[in-house]
Amino acid sequence: MRFDKAELRTLGWLVFYDVNRTLGGLASMELLRRSFGARGWMTDEGHALFVALSRLTPGTNILAYCVALGWQLAHWRGALISLAAASIPASILIALLSATLAQIDRYPLVRAIIAIALIVATLLVLVTAWNLLRPYIKGTNAARTGIIAAIVVVLVLMKVTPVRILLAAAVCGVVMASPAAPPVAEVDR
Amino acid sequence: MSVIALYLLLLKATVTSFAGMGSLPQIRQDFVVTHGVITDEQLSQAVVIGRSAPGPVGAYVVAIGYFAGGWPGAIAAWLAMITPALLVIPLLTLLRQFLHLPRVRAAVDAVVIASAVLLLTSVVRMAMDSVEMLRRVFG
Repeated sequence: MRFDKAELRTLGWLVFYDVNRTLGGLASMELLRRSFGARGWMTDEGHALFVALSRLTPGTNILAYCVALGWQLAHWRGALISLAAASIPASILIALLSATLAQIDRYPLVRAIIAIALIVATLLVLVTAWNLLRPYIKGTNAARTGIIAAIVVVLVLMKVTPVRILLAAAVCGVVMASPAAPPVAEVDR
Repeated sequence: MSVIALYLLLLKATVTSFAGMGSLPQIRQDFVVTHGVITDEQLSQAVVIGRSAPGPVGAYVVAIGYFAGGWPGAIAAWLAMITPALLVIPLLTLLRQFLHLPRVRAAVDAVVIASAVLLLTSVVRMAMDSVEMLRRVFG
């Protein structure tokens, strides 16, 4: 598909608007599906493929989703515009918040707010971990997941670095591979 | 720590994670434990800032970059955050070729499971940090 400048601007605006009015993740992807679907720029099948791919791509899922979407529509230009629109506004805001916090975090009231916000953030991280793990604890996958989780916990207790733990997990996955397992793209994430 | 070193360390964390917050254990290992350029408290603050702002969850690494290296650090962190996303382009091509292979799929799944469990171990430390902060504020 060949995109002209006006369409590239629309692409950037839609990604900016949909990604930066949510807290990222699947909510942003759903908004993008609606916006781009309404313009005939994305099918539901394309959305499903991008969601699966974004889960398989290292890093932040919504950024990978936006790159795949932009690439599909306008190759490099689309990918880079989508990536910039999705990441720059939030990054600027976060850097400004960090700079502000560095100036005011000595005040007791600010520290109390941070402490309470940290409890909320902890719960949100817990939800993220659960969402990652949930598709793998159903049916016959549960035993395999339990074994991998146990190995990871043992390695953490042995103070093995995270990268080595992930490599060890990949090796375990290869050793325990089951031909009957469903394709990743079909797993309900 | 130089900006390039900061970028490479953050890239190591983002490229080995499979969710926005998945990079947290590796970032703590490199920035708090190994190099000591930020404290556990700053790490927790970065998570709070990242979860308070709209946009990608993984953007909390920008706060890490800022705490570790000021504005140049924040820019390096932004680059480290967006770099792995570009890997989706070759993945679009490779998906149909290799992902149907059970061993490849199982390896990817195992890495996702491991990153989730690593994240859970980070939650334990964050919970302890928040209790400690509350104790210091109200104690």
